[in-house]
Amino acid sequence: MNSILMDLLEKALVSGIVSSVMVPSRGPDNSFPWTLVTDVSALNRVEPVPPVMSVHGAKALASFTQSMPEGKLLAVMRPCEARAAIELSKLEQIDLGNIILLTMDCPGAVPLKEYGEDGTMEPDINRPETLRPLCRQCTEFTSAGDLCLAMHGGLRTVIPLTSGGQELLDSLGMKAESDTSQWKEWANALRGEREKVRAESTEKLKETYSGLQGLVEVFSGCISCRSCRTVCPICYCRLCFIDMKDRRSPASAHLERSRNSGAARLMSNTLLFHIGRMAHMSLSCVSCGMCEDACPSDIPTGRLVSMVSGNTTELFSYSAGRNPEDPLPLNTYQLEELHEYED
Amino acid sequence: MVENSVLISESSTRDTLIHLLARLLQNGEVDSVFALRGTSQEGRYCYSLITDPSLLNEILPFHPVMPVQGARALSELTITEPFDRPVAALLRPCEIRAFVENVKQSQGSLENIFIISCTCPGVIPASRLLREDREEVQRNLPANIRNACRTCTEFIPGTQADMTVLIASDEPQNSTVIYLHTEKAVEIAEILDSCTLETGKPPAELTSGILETRKKALKDLMREMKAPGDGLQSLVSLFSACIGCRGCREACPLCGCVLCDYETARTLHSPELVRAEAKRKGSLRVPAGTLQFQLGRLMHIAPLCTACGQCSDVCPVDIPVSDVFIRAANLVQESLNYSPGRDTDDTPPMATFAEKELLDITD
Repeated sequence: MNSILMDLLEKALVSGIVSSVMVPSRGPDNSFPWTLVTDVSALNRVEPVPPVMSVHGAKALASFTQSMPEGKLLAVMRPCEARAAIELSKLEQIDLGNIILLTMDCPGAVPLKEYGEDGTMEPDINRPETLRPLCRQCTEFTSAGDLCLAMHGGLRTVIPLTSGGQELLDSLGMKAESDTSQWKEWANALRGEREKVRAESTEKLKETYSGLQGLVEVFSGCISCRSCRTVCPICYCRLCFIDMKDRRSPASAHLERSRNSGAARLMSNTLLFHIGRMAHMSLSCVSCGMCEDACPSDIPTGRLVSMVSGNTTELFSYSAGRNPEDPLPLNTYQLEELHEYED
Repeated sequence: MVENSVLISESSTRDTLIHLLARLLQNGEVDSVFALRGTSQEGRYCYSLITDPSLLNEILPFHPVMPVQGARALSELTITEPFDRPVAALLRPCEIRAFVENVKQSQGSLENIFIISCTCPGVIPASRLLREDREEVQRNLPANIRNACRTCTEFIPGTQADMTVLIASDEPQNSTVIYLHTEKAVEIAEILDSCTLETGKPPAELTSGILETRKKALKDLMREMKAPGDGLQSLVSLFSACIGCRGCREACPLCGCVLCDYETARTLHSPELVRAEAKRKGSLRVPAGTLQFQLGRLMHIAPLCTACGQCSDVCPVDIPVSDVFIRAANLVQESLNYSPGRDTDDTPPMATFAEKELLDITD
């Protein structure tokens, strides 16, 4: 199915126009690790769109691109991964100079926990029940980064989205198909369906978990493993504020907390941690669902953060990862804004 | 130490303990109770610090779950200062042992903690409680406990416990049996209603069958794990599905560093270095260091591991982390002649130096 893509990767490496490709490969025991490929012969193990998302592509990319790589690096990733990479570049965790992001019509991913059982499940874009909850409601399933592999609406071509993407295609002597109208129709139709799913899901979340008591309930099963934070591509701090020594409370403070209501939950900062993470992530959240996929307690944390993010990004008319030129809302200041939130 | 003094009660274990703890709170013997408690969501549990006796009916003493390792929660409470008034803490043997190691590393204090423990039957993997029929899973406990519990031979608490509730035993008990190990425990037991004090057989005698089963399971683990997890290639394969969520580290009661070595900027690599390594191999896994993290953690934790199994329990991709750790811990602890959590006075092996030691594994 990906012969065009494989052809592109091979040409890019052989010609030397691209010196390395970051792309998932097939590993042992149904695993799909990210790999940095420099040798054409290693392309035969490449699995550009694996059934599961194990490590988020932007996180893998950030592990070695804080400074600009010499020579072009082509990263093949899902749209939500490319968008997170763009956010990370704004947050100065990735230097995108010399990096080309190639995305595709993303089929979605199978939940990690379900895939692990036998390793045969495949995500099917037309069968939401095969997809992770956030993939089911994803409206940004295509066209992110510099290039996009279109695989629907009768198309099978790599479409350039930026001048950098166009340059790569030109230098490889490849040409995109020009009639993309059917493909755009397909995307609009699916986006419309997904928007409905997302609205329903949001409505349900609000009904079930509204207010402080709702948050207490939804996070009552949290075991403080912090996996949501670690797998999140945007949560990049080395030492999280919640783990800092000055956040520790003495036994007497815990006792006082207990006396106030008769009993105090331990791992006491559970809710503060999650609310803090929501606040910190919401403007750059790309709704990738990694947090929810990794949660051993099956908490719908991804849907919650994504819902909050939907509201905050709308407020700032910002779309995470869409345009590298859009400044981060928290890095801009306007004298006149947000009056509706004032007293 | 009081020899095999036993409290017998005809009420259920839960009722007896609630009665006992309520008395302790009401009489001011303790200020608070540290215990497992249900939450507003069914099937979700947490550790709580309880001061109001009327809320004791929400506790689930020794319910077969371990959402958070008890040592981690106790460490949160006592890391900056010890309790200045007594607290009664309900802890499993592996939680006590882990906490003793925490105390040795200045991550908590045992001061003023009155420990009530149990002969531990094991706990059920969290994922099974979440995704299967809870009642069904709990009905046949020995068949459904964690792998770590299946191979646990240290299910009787050590000398830190003031009381031990007989929960795991070879024969089912008709009444609630609680061993009183300290003068304080006997004093407390004497004020309870409708209980009798007797002299009973030591817990080891009533659990020898379980010990045999567990020993056999541990022996099997030591033998079987030789294949997966032995040698570099098999470790690569075992951890190939690791998503780097670090849940194993966070859930571990002994991994207490504020900033893990594997989160420091040291683990960031330059694009040139990574590409050079990729060039050498043709293709390189990124982010680098999946196995290095696991092996580093193994090296740091093996001498101290109390085999609680939290690491496996949180793993979202079902890697048998605790099997690897328990096997290594057994070998390492045996060769260092160290038993983590046995005694606060035992010095951790990494904190001691002997000029002549480990000669059998050096050239």
